[in-house]
Amino acid sequence: MNKSIASWKLLLISALLPIVVLLTLNISLGEGIHEESFKRFANAVLTSYIVFGLILLGNLFFYADSRHRPLAPLVGMLVAVAFGVLVVWSLTSYDDILLEANSGLRSQLLSNIVRFLVSISGMLIAGIIAVGFTFAMITGRERRILFLEEE
Amino acid sequence: MESMHQAAILFWIPLILIGIGSWLSINKKTKILGLSVVVISSIIFLISPWTVPTSDSTAGAHLILSIIAPTILLLYGLHGMIFGGNVPVGRLDSSARWSGFFAMFVSIAIFCLMHWTNFTPVWRGEVNPYWIVFWPTMLLFSTSLCATASIGMVGYGEDRFDESVKLAGMSILFAAIIYIAMLVDGELITAGEFRDYLFLAVADIFGIVMGGLLAIGIFALVIWSYEKSLPNPENTHPPTEHEIKKVVEIAKSHIGGEEE
Repeated sequence: MNKSIASWKLLLISALLPIVVLLTLNISLGEGIHEESFKRFANAVLTSYIVFGLILLGNLFFYADSRHRPLAPLVGMLVAVAFGVLVVWSLTSYDDILLEANSGLRSQLLSNIVRFLVSISGMLIAGIIAVGFTFAMITGRERRILFLEEE
Repeated sequence: MESMHQAAILFWIPLILIGIGSWLSINKKTKILGLSVVVISSIIFLISPWTVPTSDSTAGAHLILSIIAPTILLLYGLHGMIFGGNVPVGRLDSSARWSGFFAMFVSIAIFCLMHWTNFTPVWRGEVNPYWIVFWPTMLLFSTSLCATASIGMVGYGEDRFDESVKLAGMSILFAAIIYIAMLVDGELITAGEFRDYLFLAVADIFGIVMGGLLAIGIFALVIWSYEKSLPNPENTHPPTEHEIKKVVEIAKSHIGGEEE
């Protein structure tokens, strides 16, 4: 097996394993899977897709000076984001497929955005901790002599 | 003014302007304008719980305001820990490493106190509804990322076992906080509520990661299909005699120098 593929698989397993263990513990404590979990997941996927799509669309526009700002990729990305909005709108307004404990379409959409903002803040802080602590560990080692001339 | 319009002007528009300001600040010509927009919009956004108290969305701004202080302490701590070590530039005094380590753990302790004591962000007389979204998400993602960093450290680096163990220790610490929160009631939040929201936090994390990857994939597809549709660039003409002479002159003027 390719070594790099094996490493990626190992990294993926190490990312998922703690979450799986904690969820198993949670279930063993008598808490069933939350009934709104799927709705939350679907709302998170769609909201994240639209927000990241808009950020990428903005980057496409503001970084395109050197390429004379071609219209085709901008339109392509705009259509992709619009498709996401359409899916959210249709799934939220049709019966209660994606409607959580909110009164209607507008409040669900606004609540999705705020929840995304809060969750992404939590994920960002977690990222800062993991990356920062990793670098702190790397720089915390005693300086090693790589070549004899350094002595 | 109607509550909905107030929320639009004092919460949503500043939130959108933060993004637009960030994009403007990328460009050298509009950098100052962009940064000014970001700063002013951020202030308006963060004070929205007081300017638009009737809007439910401002609970998000209230939560972000509540976690700013421990986050700054965390950043200060990590900065001290990184630059108090062996770095080639910008090295701090070695005591910064210990003070940074202390600051980082105090910051994590403050977050824990916000869950278990009455430090919990309170909005409209109740626990901020987004605290129970933020806290399990942050803990779960920290556990996961620290475990990944630990395996990455030992997998890709050489002789990094000790550092890998410390990172694994951080992952276990966050997992232990989650486990304790599953069992021990806080002053304002019960263990049952925490357990209930843990599934939703997992749904949020996987959803955000998948949605982000999907958007990046579509973005790559759009760029690839556009670039593919472009005609091949034309070959340039070979250099003229005059251009070759000029290049040789420049090259000659740079050849030479004293031997060491």
